[in-house]
Amino acid sequence: MSASYWFQTGRRAFLLIMLVFFLAPFLWLATTAYKPSSAIFSIPPTFAFSPTLDQFRTIFRLFDVWSLLRSSVLIATGSVILSLALGVPAGYALARSKSRYAMGIAYFLMAIRMIPSVAALIPFYLMMRDIGLLGSWMSVVLINSMLNSAFVTWLMFSYFRGLPPELEEAALTDGCTQFGAFFKVALPAVMAGIVACVLFCLMFSWNDFLYPMFLTRLDSKPLSVALLSAYGTKDITWGTLGALAHFSTIPIVVVILFLNRYFVQGLTKGIH
Amino acid sequence: MSAIADHLPSGLIEPKGMAFATKRKVFLVAMAVPVVAYVLVVGIWPLTQGIWYSLYDYNLIRPQRTKFAGIDNYIEIITDPVSRQALINTAIFTFGAVFFELLIGFALALALWRDDRFNRLALALILIPVTITPLVVGLIFKGLLAADYGMIGYFLAQWGLTDPRGLLADQHAALATLIFIDVWEWTPLVALILLAGLKALPSDILEAASVDGATGLQKLRIIVIPLMLPAVLLALILRTVDAFRVFDTVYVATGGGPGNATNTLMLHAVKQGLEFFNIGRASAIANLTLLIIALIAAGFALMIRHADRKANGK
Repeated sequence: MSASYWFQTGRRAFLLIMLVFFLAPFLWLATTAYKPSSAIFSIPPTFAFSPTLDQFRTIFRLFDVWSLLRSSVLIATGSVILSLALGVPAGYALARSKSRYAMGIAYFLMAIRMIPSVAALIPFYLMMRDIGLLGSWMSVVLINSMLNSAFVTWLMFSYFRGLPPELEEAALTDGCTQFGAFFKVALPAVMAGIVACVLFCLMFSWNDFLYPMFLTRLDSKPLSVALLSAYGTKDITWGTLGALAHFSTIPIVVVILFLNRYFVQGLTKGIH
Repeated sequence: MSAIADHLPSGLIEPKGMAFATKRKVFLVAMAVPVVAYVLVVGIWPLTQGIWYSLYDYNLIRPQRTKFAGIDNYIEIITDPVSRQALINTAIFTFGAVFFELLIGFALALALWRDDRFNRLALALILIPVTITPLVVGLIFKGLLAADYGMIGYFLAQWGLTDPRGLLADQHAALATLIFIDVWEWTPLVALILLAGLKALPSDILEAASVDGATGLQKLRIIVIPLMLPAVLLALILRTVDAFRVFDTVYVATGGGPGNATNTLMLHAVKQGLEFFNIGRASAIANLTLLIIALIAAGFALMIRHADRKANGK
């Protein structure tokens, strides 16, 4: 056997070990949902169990799952729409602008991503209290979109910059309006970037928990906040968490797994 | 502006080309203004309010008694042992997490370098930890490591390898365990960034080196690592900034405990501000964190510019 054969085998073996390491905890979470509580709390812990849907019954008894899901969906769609509506045109404008300020504004918006959530949370909390939006899911959309729209602008800026302007110029010469050139000519050419933006905004606002924890009330809290109370007392803990994760965590993981190509492309573009 | 230009016969005041250039400018500015205005109102304005709050002895429990405190809130971060420990914990956490993420991430990127079907699938699956709710990541490991029923924690405790109350309840092991959790969560992202860097390497140089008889290790040391420096710095900046403001995973895994062994700056700020309503103090901690992050980012950004210039031949 040649040295390169052993090298390739070693490489595969290393990757397999890494895959087990990175996937096992997630699979553990997903499977606890189908374990009876007796299997979760057996001493010593056991890997064998007979599957049951008890945990799902428990979460529907303990939580208003549909209301939680509704808040999560409202927050996520609100953030995605607002962030893209603000960020995509701005990304285009900055990419096409010949002004010397354009690059500076783009960098400024990228830097927004680095603000620690808490630094914005406390003054924002007081601001929402003053204008009476505290406790509403809309306050979460407002602050999420601030961070997201800045990131969307930056990401779309990179996508539009990679798009040669000749097509739009031709359309403009043919009498197309400026907005038409952006909307009908440039936008369809960067759909991959739009998908990536939607994925990032979706992931961020669906997974976010600090803002909704302090900004929403009982009737407007999303799944991420409910997860925390899912492990409150001992008799409900991990199985309940696993079952709730089927609504909160697993959908996002599956969506991104399926649209992996866009996610990876967006990540590598957005951070350069 | 454009409205007036529309009503004037073209060519009367300025040539048609100029009129279009002006219209174009107005259009582009109009497209970019909303996001900038939004970020200023919803982001920057509250942040400046935060600077203001941090200069006051401001507590929501007694809103009538706010008095100017100057930089007292900032001085207290250094003099108060709890705040000081939060600062030290955050620094240790950031350094440890980023170090191991870079090390394992680089090994992973090298293993994933060759573009075949197995690697494409492996990359997709390995990114799963990045997409899981950070809060849930904390809960997963809290569950796995629990000494009473946890799949891993139970055996570790039974075999006497860890504190009988589990790793996360051990004064000396809790912070290291949180670093481990962060490494699990974010190493795949680092691997992805470095992989993008590897794939952007000029293949002709690597081929030329192979023709000249360079071994894999020589190629790595002489070509790959120096040319990869910008990508490495990029991964560093991203992870350092994110690790420094860690909140979710720590909040659920340990809540800063046992004692204050895993209290981080963000956790400390949230506790001060939204549990004790000590807004002045919390704002000071948040602002200090923001300042440190800005300095780290600026430092790395300068290094990236320097490395880029070097990689592109001066």
